[in-house]
Amino acid sequence: MDKDKVKQIVLDIIAEIAPDEDLNDVKSDIRLRDQLDLDSMDFLDIVMELRKQHGIDVPEPEYRELESLDSCANYLLPKFEAGAAA
Amino acid sequence: MGSVSLPHPSLSPVKSISSQITSTEVVVIGAGLAGLAAAVRLAMFGKKVILLEKHYVVGGLNSFYARKGRKFDVGLHALTNYPSPSSGKSSPLLKLCRQLRIPIDELKLLPQSHSRITFGEQSLRFNNDFQYFLSQVEEAFPSSMDAFLKLLKMMEQFPAYSVDAEELSTRSILRDSGIDPLLREMLLCPTCYYGSARPDDIDFPTFIMLFDAIFKQGLSRPEDGIRAILNPLTAKLKELGVDRRMNSAVRSIQTKGDKAKEVILESGETIKAEKIISTCGIRETESLLQENCIEPDEAQTGQFSIIESIRVFKGHPKDLSWDETVIFFNRSNRFVYDCPKGLVDLESGVICMPDNYGTNHQTEESKLRVTHPANFHRWSQLSEAQYLKEKNYWEKTMLDNALSYLPGGLEKRELLHQRTELLDTFTPKTIKRFTSHINGTLYGSPTKKRDGSTKYKNLYLAGTDQGYVGIVGAMLGGIAVANNQILRAG
Repeated sequence: MDKDKVKQIVLDIIAEIAPDEDLNDVKSDIRLRDQLDLDSMDFLDIVMELRKQHGIDVPEPEYRELESLDSCANYLLPKFEAGAAA
Repeated sequence: MGSVSLPHPSLSPVKSISSQITSTEVVVIGAGLAGLAAAVRLAMFGKKVILLEKHYVVGGLNSFYARKGRKFDVGLHALTNYPSPSSGKSSPLLKLCRQLRIPIDELKLLPQSHSRITFGEQSLRFNNDFQYFLSQVEEAFPSSMDAFLKLLKMMEQFPAYSVDAEELSTRSILRDSGIDPLLREMLLCPTCYYGSARPDDIDFPTFIMLFDAIFKQGLSRPEDGIRAILNPLTAKLKELGVDRRMNSAVRSIQTKGDKAKEVILESGETIKAEKIISTCGIRETESLLQENCIEPDEAQTGQFSIIESIRVFKGHPKDLSWDETVIFFNRSNRFVYDCPKGLVDLESGVICMPDNYGTNHQTEESKLRVTHPANFHRWSQLSEAQYLKEKNYWEKTMLDNALSYLPGGLEKRELLHQRTELLDTFTPKTIKRFTSHINGTLYGSPTKKRDGSTKYKNLYLAGTDQGYVGIVGAMLGGIAVANNQILRAG
């Protein structure tokens, strides 16, 4: 697992949640909200899908760690690695 | 074999009472749009759900029935919130489709042609382009335009979509806005008809939501009617393993302290649940609890109901030069939205020609639907013979009365009668049967609970009495309760 893989996992989830969004040109360092039409319901879904598909828990105060692909990668990578090691 | 034997169980005339006990994570009461949407969301994320419905069809107020091989929708005049080019991606309908993972294209939405509000001699037309509506207001009420634009700005800034939005009186806000009194009444008419539970008024947040939904976004209809929405939802329930039970009325909800413990069905079965979502209404939920469910006990009982008659006729409305989709009409300049004293109030109403959605005008037959306010108690007091007699009388009276609001309608009366294949009517009693709402109300109690919470920690309200109205509102309400009260908590 590396950061690029984590980013791809998040993008795959967004593609599932918001199939009408064009994800070809998403910038890693810009807030997802600023380049895509995503609202708080969509972010809740990203959290729910991470739990369902990958067994990763994101507590509510930490939702903001998911604001860009870069921050997702930084925040989620240790969680994926911890999950793989367990 | 001379001894008296006990009756064989299978021959026993006494219906066996089930004493079965089942356990689940969530029970959802009511398979209307709010209940269906909540159940889908919960099951999507692994919750074990039992969905209970008293009736034998899903959909609640937005259900369907068949007569002589034809399909009829109960509630659906229009699906609001059409994502028109001018409203873009802001439509709640798109959010809803995302949340339920139903591609919007699957609904095959047909946009309205154009619609009209008519009060006496004055008309305002609208379509799915908000600028057109603004130009209509400017043409009819030039001296009100500045005040109207100011009102629109104020509506944009009001936190209508927030759960704690103040439920102010729209009538008094419009009175203070400085717009022409007739324009005030004309704005109230479609918004009240599409979702007000309050007598002769509408709370301001709901007014704004419906104004956006009808005028800023727009009207459409799925090509296959309400089934286009219900079928994907029931398919998802099946796929996700939700235990959906029809003909399963709830007898009571048992509580202990500040928690709801279990649901007891009319069959005698007990379902223990960690959480319960009730979509049957505040008052209706209270009767299951035998206790008030919000504190202080301030819930009011709604009164507003409708009667609708449908004329099925050969050909297309365009053959009669009728190209409009929905017409909101009022005889005088003052709109009264209330439970009438008599059986039916002919003063105001709504006409819908569902075949004027989309551009296919080759249909073999079409429908003309006419809706008026009606009094549930008056209809309920009639004997069966009187009921049928009144139903026949009002069916004809309403459909003929509506002709005076259609272009050249009165002259086309004979032609329309010749083309008629079938008349059908549903009354407030029919609405009661589909929704189980007390008084057969269309929009439930005037008291709303937007976040769905009750005085019981694990019992939530969704749907009608959450205050998000219409097909889109009901589903988003169910989703919001599932998300915020159950899924967020883990």
